[in-house]
Amino acid sequence: MKKISRLGAEARLGWTLVMPALGVIALIAIFPLGWTFWESLHLHELRMPWLGKPFVGIANYVEIAKDPRFWAALGHTAFFTVVSISLELLIGLFLALAMNRVFRGRGFVRAAVLVPWAIPTVVAALLWRFIFESQGGILNALLIDAGFINQPVVWFIEATKAWVPVILADVWKTTPFVALLLLAGLQNIDLSLYEAAAVDGANAWWQLRHITLPLLKPAILVTLIFRTLDGFRVFDLIYVLTGGGPGTSTEPVALYTFNALLQNLRFGYGSALSVVIFAITFGLALLYVRGLGVRLGGEE
Amino acid sequence: MRTGLVLLACAALAACSAGSKRHETVLTFSGSALGAEGTLVAKQLKRFMQLNPGIRVELQRTPDDASQRHQLYVQWLNARVGNPSILQLDVVWTPEFAAAGWVLPLEKYAPAKSEFFPATITANTWAGKLYALPWFADVGLLYRRTDLVPREPATLEELVADAQRAKAQRGGPRYGLVSQGARYEGLITGFVEYLGAFGGRIIDDSGEVVVNRPEAVRALEFMRDELYKWNIVPLDALTWHEEETRFAFQNANSVFMRNWPYAVGAMSDTSQSKVLGKFAVSPMPKSGTAPNGHSTAALGGAQLAINAYTEFPDAAYKLIAYLTAPEQMLERAQAVGQYPTRPGLYDDARLRGAINIPLENARRAIESATPRPVTPIYTELSEILQIQLHRALVRQAEPRQALDEAAARINALIERTGMRKLMRGVS
Repeated sequence: MKKISRLGAEARLGWTLVMPALGVIALIAIFPLGWTFWESLHLHELRMPWLGKPFVGIANYVEIAKDPRFWAALGHTAFFTVVSISLELLIGLFLALAMNRVFRGRGFVRAAVLVPWAIPTVVAALLWRFIFESQGGILNALLIDAGFINQPVVWFIEATKAWVPVILADVWKTTPFVALLLLAGLQNIDLSLYEAAAVDGANAWWQLRHITLPLLKPAILVTLIFRTLDGFRVFDLIYVLTGGGPGTSTEPVALYTFNALLQNLRFGYGSALSVVIFAITFGLALLYVRGLGVRLGGEE
Repeated sequence: MRTGLVLLACAALAACSAGSKRHETVLTFSGSALGAEGTLVAKQLKRFMQLNPGIRVELQRTPDDASQRHQLYVQWLNARVGNPSILQLDVVWTPEFAAAGWVLPLEKYAPAKSEFFPATITANTWAGKLYALPWFADVGLLYRRTDLVPREPATLEELVADAQRAKAQRGGPRYGLVSQGARYEGLITGFVEYLGAFGGRIIDDSGEVVVNRPEAVRALEFMRDELYKWNIVPLDALTWHEEETRFAFQNANSVFMRNWPYAVGAMSDTSQSKVLGKFAVSPMPKSGTAPNGHSTAALGGAQLAINAYTEFPDAAYKLIAYLTAPEQMLERAQAVGQYPTRPGLYDDARLRGAINIPLENARRAIESATPRPVTPIYTELSEILQIQLHRALVRQAEPRQALDEAAARINALIERTGMRKLMRGVS
């Protein structure tokens, strides 16, 4: 309060100018969030109007905490996020370093690399589904031709095998995006640092560890935030590829929520799930920003 | 009986045309506007309007996909929207809509229940009242390659033996039996058939969950053994829906297939069918080892019900009565091959040309049809069961353990929704 009054008219003008933007944010972010939270405190089953819409406090959250399917889904989501992001960062870094070199046709390569990213997820997922189909799938045909296997592998009926197409598809689709974010970071690094290092006799590995990676840290962390949040909300890819199966062994939290909210029309319980997902992703974002010292847009 | 219906309909018209002198009676009918189905519906609605000058019927296009249509209906009805005035319900939705008060009971119109297959009436009855009239029936059928297995298997065990023998022949098909094993509603329909064959049920007449009783465990074990022990069902089938099984059978890759009647038309029409004239259908057989087992077909199909929020319930019933009358059903069978829900029509020579299988087999299949549990919480019950059945079939869990888990979850669902009292004596 003190601060504002000291700044006086200027601050008031400032607030006035950002008011419309804040209003929009309140309308499209805070209001729905608040509504969802309110809904999550009720028993509200669209299909069972005879139950009414009583206020039940945290009963929905208690049900979530007690549901092994939710915890399993959370585990699947974490597994998917960690594995696919690790692969994406590794391959993406490699691609970015390669694209950062000066070579002929670099512009073309940079554009071409983006193609998988440009394909809608559902289409990409269908594509991978066809590749991994047990009868007539390309992959099985190739593996049989190469003599690795005798019988076509049925990828989608074993939990461990079903993860393969899911993670491959995500890595294939998202690595270009990661590579591009990292490439942007690489281009901000002052080349004279490398020159100085070379003069001092540092080899390529040393340069990568002591110049490239430290200076790339902000870009890596931004990528991590984006990808972690995306990974935690993964839905369409798994919906199309495995439908969460076999059983529910590849079901992520977003798919579980979708089921509760839109298939079973349990608005109260589904809203509580949405709030939980929101809390988790928000917590993760905070963790990155605070714990790892990312400055979003600010100077170090 | 028919004249009775017509008289009743006239009375209904008189009642509503008197009431709506001021404004026109406009009904909306929910359905598909696509293909042969769309043409047929448009034709029948037009004829209805010619017969009933006071009523105008508009076709409201709704998605063909059942779960999408269901979601739309539920949203509309929660908002108390009176359109479409006539709802086209999947067979498992009627109790849900009835318990929610979204569709009107038909008792006051005194429909001739006895003219329909009993199972189709049971499926549409909730708390002792009829809420929808069966429009057409879908039943699970066993397709068989007559060149490989000339005689219809009398038991499931015979089916397994036949499949193994035909598969082992030189140049025999790759698979013994193809069925829908993906984790979706189709898996339940298949399970219901095995369950009946072994004398089991999901929920019994007193509302008790009995899906983990020994008969049910045996049924699920049988399904699992078909995959892993007798190797007649390919593991691929655990990701299959109807069309994948049809492709396999149509390409002469399987001895038997479990599918719905639509496949008959699809396989007789196309020039790609390799099994033209070489297949027959029959009801799924019962198990020879279960004393209480009986040949069981899952019942599917569409029902017509009156939207509880419509302004014109009487006119709506009139249209329902018209569309479910014998003439229209016959026409529907001829145009799109869907099975009438009136046993009386199965003696009609005109039906013979319309459905491509012996009428006797079709009638036997529908007579052996069993509704899936008739309960307002069916959809969630089905989801629980789908997951547990799939877990057992992909060997993540033993059948007994999976069904115990399913039963526990279904019981919890019943408690949560206060269904215990309502279900007693209704299912």
